[in-house]
Amino acid sequence: MNKISIQKDSNYIDQLQAELEKGEALSSWELFSMTYEAELTSMTPEFHGLRSLDFLPHVNFMDHQVSTAQQVIEQMNGRAILADEVGLGKTIEAGLVMKEYMIRGLVKKILILVPASLVNQWERELNEKFYIPAIGHRRNYAWEEYDILISSMDTAKRSPHREKILDIDYDLILIDEAHKLKNHKTKNYEFVRSLKKKYCLLLTATPVQNKLVEIFNLVSILKPGHLGNYDDFLTKFGKDRTKMKDDLFLKQLVQKVMVRNTRAETTIKNTKRNIETVWLEFSEPEKEVYQLLENSIHKSSFAKITYLREFCSSREACYLSLAKLNDINNPNELIQTITSKIETLPHHKKAEKLVELIKDIGDEKVIVFTEYRASQLYLQWYLQQHGISSVPFRGGFKRGKKDWMRQLFENHAQVLIATEAGGEGINLQFCNYMINYDLPWNPMRLEQRIGRIHRYGQEKDVHIYNFAIRETIEEHIMTLLYEKIELFEKVIGHLDNILAELEITNMEKEIATIYSESESMGEAKIKLDNLSHVLKNTFHTGSEEEQYGN
Amino acid sequence: MAIENLNEFLAGYFQSHHCQLLSNKNGILQVQLTEEMDRALMNRPFYWHYIKKMGREGEPKQLTFITNPDKREEQGEWIHFGSPRLQQILRHLKQNEKYTKLFQRVDPHVNTPMYPWLVVNLKISYKGKQKKEEIFSLGLQMVTGEMRAEMMNTLRTIPLQQTISDYCYTISPIIRLNSGYKRMEAVIDNYIENQTHEWAKASLLAMKEDIDTLKHFYVEQTDIETETMEKEIAEIEERYRPVISYEVINGGMFYLSKV
Repeated sequence: MNKISIQKDSNYIDQLQAELEKGEALSSWELFSMTYEAELTSMTPEFHGLRSLDFLPHVNFMDHQVSTAQQVIEQMNGRAILADEVGLGKTIEAGLVMKEYMIRGLVKKILILVPASLVNQWERELNEKFYIPAIGHRRNYAWEEYDILISSMDTAKRSPHREKILDIDYDLILIDEAHKLKNHKTKNYEFVRSLKKKYCLLLTATPVQNKLVEIFNLVSILKPGHLGNYDDFLTKFGKDRTKMKDDLFLKQLVQKVMVRNTRAETTIKNTKRNIETVWLEFSEPEKEVYQLLENSIHKSSFAKITYLREFCSSREACYLSLAKLNDINNPNELIQTITSKIETLPHHKKAEKLVELIKDIGDEKVIVFTEYRASQLYLQWYLQQHGISSVPFRGGFKRGKKDWMRQLFENHAQVLIATEAGGEGINLQFCNYMINYDLPWNPMRLEQRIGRIHRYGQEKDVHIYNFAIRETIEEHIMTLLYEKIELFEKVIGHLDNILAELEITNMEKEIATIYSESESMGEAKIKLDNLSHVLKNTFHTGSEEEQYGN
Repeated sequence: MAIENLNEFLAGYFQSHHCQLLSNKNGILQVQLTEEMDRALMNRPFYWHYIKKMGREGEPKQLTFITNPDKREEQGEWIHFGSPRLQQILRHLKQNEKYTKLFQRVDPHVNTPMYPWLVVNLKISYKGKQKKEEIFSLGLQMVTGEMRAEMMNTLRTIPLQQTISDYCYTISPIIRLNSGYKRMEAVIDNYIENQTHEWAKASLLAMKEDIDTLKHFYVEQTDIETETMEKEIAEIEERYRPVISYEVINGGMFYLSKV
């Protein structure tokens, strides 16, 4: 009992005395009793449970989000790693935790550190979904003046912001994409360690990417000592990536500070993913050009593969790179022949199919992804010719422009034509049709594309169409790689781990190397086939040991 | 006695602030704000500054509140317990309705004495690992020293007004305001002392565990390490240390006819 400090309200009665002595009219009974009712309504009668749910009737939370927020508050006492798989709503869970603490009067001063490209999205989500008055940090904003600021790590850690921030006692610190803090020797890590904080949430979909020591470093931000000290940890678990399942004790310890929901366990799988490959044939003149490109240019070069891929996307994409190659003073006859042939080609088969498909889909919103800027421009023009409104989207757009394009798409245009999903891009759950006009060779990019629409908040089944042209390089990639590993159905969501396991850092380069180092297309096909075997096997052995969270 | 019907609550609030209710049906309430309420709720100080500079009257806005969730699609603001607008209104109440002096409305034909009561509504917070709150409404008769709990429930059954009724006179309190309040505090102190406070024990235990864990992390006792460790210990203490606090919601003097 004597360890509880008691703080009394010693001013009130003197103020009441002073008010009574003034002799002016004070509160009416109606307003006086309404104030009492208001307090009864907004008070927190229990230690347990989430009050915030009553305050947010406009949001449909999923079970795993509610239970995660509750677990973080009640069992982890507000310091936790939220490590759900991509698209399950880590932001929502974090928002719920913040809201709950704010309602209970435990948190006022919050700092939210996110990648620069996500500042606006966090701001919008917290304000619209949670009525949390968070604002993005702008130049000249004083850190101490605003209670809830969102900023990028790069801004925050730079002088003069750094000094100001380190002076403030924060009630809650939230860090998105926290896997960037896996190395304890970095400036970012050191900065986060020195922040003064009461509660702390770290968000990441990949808490362990390569080495087990990464989880040690993340946990040490929240609860230093929980996994012992650095040297002991290294001795015990080594520097290399080892499986968490090898050590039940470690797994249990980690589960005390980390929540990980997986797609397989949660109800999100209720919205289905329909995937359809749309096979196309080149027209005769198109075929002719393709074969010309394939046979006449020097056989094993990265450049040739690029031209072939570009030609499968649009005349424009290929034409532009060929034109660049052609020196005006020293014209290359072969290239000139090809470019002049391209000039006479009719509209691209894929573009025609695109218009047909969009018209079939009807009034729904559609996202079209292409790999090439030139195709993007061409498609925008071509769709417009057919009375279909579209807006462009590129990873390189500034923050404000991205938001604006997203809004235009949501409210005005039917189609969004994007060249890049941007791993940390925009969320487009209001749309459930996606057309991969051409496929990236890096399956991580595909995962990101799909993640834009098939994520928490998507209420309808998602339809994905993949365009591929027969008897081209696209057919190899489609049948030998993506279909073989059942990429769309199964592997997405696990790619991170599979590629890390195989030490494949750049899938695109891997495939390009296969093509450029093969003597013939036949040889390339065999190598591709091998690659997909390896990927598939890794997936099957890997999936059993994934579950180190809960 | 918590708010049960939000529509009625809002209608009462705006009427008490002399705003005209333009219409109120099917959970859609339309209100004409007064200038005072426009200033309090609409957050447009520049408009009022400008309009007054021009020597004009200004046009307070109208607001439409939808409390019926089925009508959310209609024109107006959907208002519910979490909405910023309701939070703003509740804040406005809490800031402005802290003090009162009220008299029981009676219709006597002979001189009638009115007895003074000090009424205080207060909120107790228990904060450790988690937090909870409790609300008390206490009334103290300032002549006899009789104390009552649930005073607001008693008062709800009595007609009250801001002026004293005809033929009535007030009895002077014997207990001073300050010592009256001390008596109330003593009752609360006693109530708190008689609890076992398992929550506080659990918080202290968690605090000790976390601090012990923390010490495992630091091997070398360099100055920098010690400094970081102390910062972290302070954070842990801040997060777990049990605190009980009293906060008065509102209160005032009530003059009632019955003893």
